[in-house]
Amino acid sequence: MSENWVLKEDEAIELLALLITSARIQMDEPAHYAPMRLLTATERLSDAIVKRASKKSRQFLQGNIERIPELRMTMSDVDAYAAGLDGLCRDVAQCLLEHSSLGEDAS
Amino acid sequence: MSEDALNNIRTRRVVREMSDEPVSREQIETILEAARWAPSGGNLRPIRFVVIEDEETRRLIRLVSPGMFQKAPALILLCLNEDVMIEHSLPASDRALLIDVGTAAQTIMLAAHGIGLASGPVTSYSKAAISVILNLPDSYSPEMFICIGHKAESTRRGMKTWKKITWRDLTHWERFPQD
Repeated sequence: MSENWVLKEDEAIELLALLITSARIQMDEPAHYAPMRLLTATERLSDAIVKRASKKSRQFLQGNIERIPELRMTMSDVDAYAAGLDGLCRDVAQCLLEHSSLGEDAS
Repeated sequence: MSEDALNNIRTRRVVREMSDEPVSREQIETILEAARWAPSGGNLRPIRFVVIEDEETRRLIRLVSPGMFQKAPALILLCLNEDVMIEHSLPASDRALLIDVGTAAQTIMLAAHGIGLASGPVTSYSKAAISVILNLPDSYSPEMFICIGHKAESTRRGMKTWKKITWRDLTHWERFPQD
């Protein structure tokens, strides 16, 4: 796993603000909005780190996180939404493997 | 109602991605002048408008507004003024107050569309955080943002194709039949 710093303090605080306020507004919103809020945070984190990320991470971010707006459009179709999120989960798991000591076996 | 007015209603859309193109003060004032004509229950006028143009303030607002996807050049915040509610013995739970928010919001969005601007409402934000960022008086309850700007030329977010709904799908004539 790379030890490069990819997030500035201000960017981290901004993401923290998004997460805290998302937690609060989720109490007033339909339950199925929760994944959308987490995906919004994911997008903002990705936007913040993509320029400083390693080539491997950047490939993951650009290849997968940029699919999130399209995925959000399927929100009303629960099965398609779940399938899209499952796909994203598989991709991030693959990314984790490639960053780990198991990376050579995983790629 | 003229065909122009009907066409304005039919063609207005909620816009979630906006360009950096600025909105003039004159345009905002035109929209606010229209908003003042929005119907209000009992003509009590409990809505107050807070306009935010400053770039850094807008950035901070967006950070505590998870539902604000737009980076709009201008924001109009619709607040309920609790002083007016107290003056007229209106409980904060009075749903009619939210109808006033709705009529003002729709009037703002139609006015914006009428002068060639895009708009989009946002209610997913932390009221507590917004009150701090804008230093709102205690009597102001922030109920809805209307983002005002210009629609982005190319949008990253594809438009979902919604099922076509006609007024007939939404309307029932006269009394409902007995079971």
